[in-house]
Amino acid sequence: MLLYVSKRLLRSLLTLFIILAIVFILLRQMPIEGYFANYDKLSKMQIESGLHQMGLDQPMPVQLGRMFKNLLQGDLGTSRIYRNNVPVTQILAPKIPISLKLGSLALLVSLIIGIPMGTLMARYKGKFFDHLGTGFVVFIQAVPAAVYYLFLQLYGTQLLGIKMLFNINDWKMWILPVFSMSLGNIAYYAMWLRRYMVDESTKDYVQLARIKGLSENNIMFSHIFRNAFVPMIQYLPTSFLNTVIGSIYIESLYSIPGMGGLLVDVIKRQDNTMVQAIVLLFATVGIIGLILGDMAMVVLDPRITLGHKKGGR
Amino acid sequence: MQNKILSVKDLDVKFNLRGRTLHAIRSLSVDVYRGETLAIVGESGSGKTVLNKNFIGLLDPNGFIDGGEILYYGNEKPVDLAKYKGEKDWLGFRGREISMILQDPMTSLNPLKTIGSQIAEAVKVHQSLAGDDLRKAVHELLREVGIDDPERRAKQYPHEFSGGMRQRVVIAIAIACQPKILICDEPTTALDVTIQAQILNLLKDLKKKLMLTIIFITHDLGVVANVADRVAVMYAGDIVEIGTAEEVFYDPRHPYTWALLSSLPQLGVKGEELYSIKGTPPNLFMPVVGDAFAPRNPQALEIDFLEEPPYFEISPTHKAKTWLLDPRSPKVEPPEYIKNIRGMGRR
Amino acid sequence: MPRLKNPAITSMEEEFTKRMAEEMTDEELFSFAEFDESQVERTGYSNYSYWRSTFQAFARRKSAMFFLSLVVLLVLFTFIQPMLPGQIDYFQVNNDPTSGLPYRNLRPGTEVTLTDGTQHRFLLGTNSIGQDLWANIWAGTRTSLFIGVTVALIEAFVGIVIGILWGYVRKLDFFFTELYNVLDNIPVTIVLILVAYILPAGVGTLILAMSLTGWIGMARFIRNFIIIIRDREYNLASRCLGTKTPKIIMKNLLPYLISIIMLRMALSIPANIGYEVFITYIGLGLPATIASLGNLINVGRQMMLSPSLRYQLVYPTIILSIVTISFYVSGNAFSDAADPKQHV
Repeated sequence: MLLYVSKRLLRSLLTLFIILAIVFILLRQMPIEGYFANYDKLSKMQIESGLHQMGLDQPMPVQLGRMFKNLLQGDLGTSRIYRNNVPVTQILAPKIPISLKLGSLALLVSLIIGIPMGTLMARYKGKFFDHLGTGFVVFIQAVPAAVYYLFLQLYGTQLLGIKMLFNINDWKMWILPVFSMSLGNIAYYAMWLRRYMVDESTKDYVQLARIKGLSENNIMFSHIFRNAFVPMIQYLPTSFLNTVIGSIYIESLYSIPGMGGLLVDVIKRQDNTMVQAIVLLFATVGIIGLILGDMAMVVLDPRITLGHKKGGR
Repeated sequence: MQNKILSVKDLDVKFNLRGRTLHAIRSLSVDVYRGETLAIVGESGSGKTVLNKNFIGLLDPNGFIDGGEILYYGNEKPVDLAKYKGEKDWLGFRGREISMILQDPMTSLNPLKTIGSQIAEAVKVHQSLAGDDLRKAVHELLREVGIDDPERRAKQYPHEFSGGMRQRVVIAIAIACQPKILICDEPTTALDVTIQAQILNLLKDLKKKLMLTIIFITHDLGVVANVADRVAVMYAGDIVEIGTAEEVFYDPRHPYTWALLSSLPQLGVKGEELYSIKGTPPNLFMPVVGDAFAPRNPQALEIDFLEEPPYFEISPTHKAKTWLLDPRSPKVEPPEYIKNIRGMGRR
Repeated sequence: MPRLKNPAITSMEEEFTKRMAEEMTDEELFSFAEFDESQVERTGYSNYSYWRSTFQAFARRKSAMFFLSLVVLLVLFTFIQPMLPGQIDYFQVNNDPTSGLPYRNLRPGTEVTLTDGTQHRFLLGTNSIGQDLWANIWAGTRTSLFIGVTVALIEAFVGIVIGILWGYVRKLDFFFTELYNVLDNIPVTIVLILVAYILPAGVGTLILAMSLTGWIGMARFIRNFIIIIRDREYNLASRCLGTKTPKIIMKNLLPYLISIIMLRMALSIPANIGYEVFITYIGLGLPATIASLGNLINVGRQMMLSPSLRYQLVYPTIILSIVTISFYVSGNAFSDAADPKQHV
């Protein structure tokens, strides 16, 4: 089991390494304007010496190596445009806790609402609640988030009697962003949990549990829900990503001083180093989600520890 | 022997499928006697499994009983299982009075729970045991179905068990509450031939030890010959012939039974093409007129297409539903193979 | 002698058989009937056609039919709309002939005189620079649908081809699996942002950005499916009978896959439309000169706070939601209907 875990971990790290390299190379294809605060006013000489100073005129492998070296030392580069000559880490430091808090609250809320919702939909399959839930899932899945976020903000603030501008110290201000961000994951959890539970409930072992004489509610929770929940772990990475994407929207919509909002800002202002740093961070978050999902599967599914691979052959 | 434990009378079972009605069991009657092993044989889709699911209240939600009764004489007062509605009636009955073994041991167990906990669940349903007592009961059951080292095995998960071992576990679960009737739905089909024999022997032993009545569903006639006291042949939702195993095997009367026996590879003549029944069973979405087997029977009579035959009694224990037994019918010789078996019977 | 062998008969025919039985003598009844082998096979469930059953299963669901008709109508209308009489080009700024100033933020349904002297009723009003919102919404829907459908087609094509290669050619399995492991781990949004950031804004860039990762899921799915089915017994049987591999793919596997391919495509379209809105929202979308639903919603968002101008957000939103929901629902319904297990 330990071997399996370390293998998976090593693999994920390798993947992360490749992804970071690809992202870096892609970002280096961007126009060099993004590396200077006042590009228009600079002479050709100044630009060249600037590039030289940053090491951007060196061959790609060298740049790549330096990037990884700096990354390991926790150096994400220096912002030129968003804030001139301030290390990116210094800009990000106060923003990360805010995004983290927002993201984990949203994940928590989506679990608290999504899981009972999926369970109830499966339990009352084909009944009113199931149809209602399915309607909700279809709406959330089909309509772009940007659209319902806007309306939630518009009418939510009126309903709660709060201002649209975010105030980090007012708990009421957190309600709408957290709720909006959790909607996508709520629909996701509810939909998949329902499907897995419906799938599980037709399996033979459920039939055998009935034959044993267990009650329907007992079967629902100690067999169907339990077994349906394990594959749900696979969706942990996706929910991480959903949260990241949600944060990009939500934070800029509510002017929350977090990472997602920052990304939109620096994109609009074309600050290459900042974009690079945030994109790398987000990609890392995605991979961490994947690793967590894998690890959780190992812990929860006894079949995997023996080296059975999921899917395929 | 004539002590009924289960008596089915004129049972009709239908399914609603996309606005159409499928008539799965067509006014079927059968008696099951205490302590016997009754084998129900027939092709897939003949209704064997559907019939038995009625005895344990596990008909699919779109299926329903449309008349008839299922009287259960397991306790002092007979009860009509056809009137049982919903979970409330069945809880306390399932597992305790009638239990069941499913076909595929690979899927019958929850892959994410230990063997021990799955057996314990069954024990707890009807006995309030806990802790060491419960553990001991579980180990005892495992030992009873022939699993060595139960203390260690109980902590393992199903994927650590072979198919035969899993079926033993399923049997342990099924007998955990000492049921009076055990329904075995093709319990050996998914297993290797060598394992099949072991499981059949285990079932025979348990039957003796626990005084079980066994209803054995199968399409494997070899298995039937091995375990059954009586055999019922099902076709298109009805029993077309029923009798002791000897009667049905050595003196079959219904053309369908003939066809079924003729298609046994063991009875085929070397070098000759194996007999196979032409066509498929009737579409039960449509009303069946006459003898359901007639369209596939090369020797069908005109009346087979028009009127349903009644049961004709051949002996007090043997009856068949075919016009061939009517005194007015012409003499029809059973196929060659059947005559051969008859010969074997006399020997 | 007339006889009804097939039990598939109506009650009228049943009545008829009863009478027949009464009229026939015992002698006739107990004589052998002719055995007709062709009739034997008809007793079962034989007259099955995959596509007819799929269509029937789909048509049974009223909501699915409703949304499918909506999809068809919407797509048709986006193309017909510019050809209808009395339409104004979406890009045209409409000026007041007396003052020469544009008709800014006209309320929906306002009727005004245009510079060419004609009267025009702006069904959905005008936007903040005096363009016809109605025409803009349909032009935007056209663009968004074009992007969505193109990407879905590219994804399907690339995904199917690679998936089939991946599944059938064992030598390629390792390479594609490794490629998949890397590509699948890159968040789609990140790729979108990166590509849109690096390349000049435009429809081509968006299509490229979206199709860059979208095919992976399809390819993976096709591959898994092909491997599962490849090893199934009936294929072994077809192989032993000498059926050529391409024929196996076409005849045995493809019908199964079609339902999933259709579903993926149908779901890809609303997702792509959503991506366009997202990319526009973060400032990397299409230039403002191209009407798209993302651009319209982004502009409308800025009007959100003033209730009298909110229609500029509401109308594009409604159309967008109708488009995405109809695709989503009818795609799901089709995949349900195409599942052979549903054809009872």
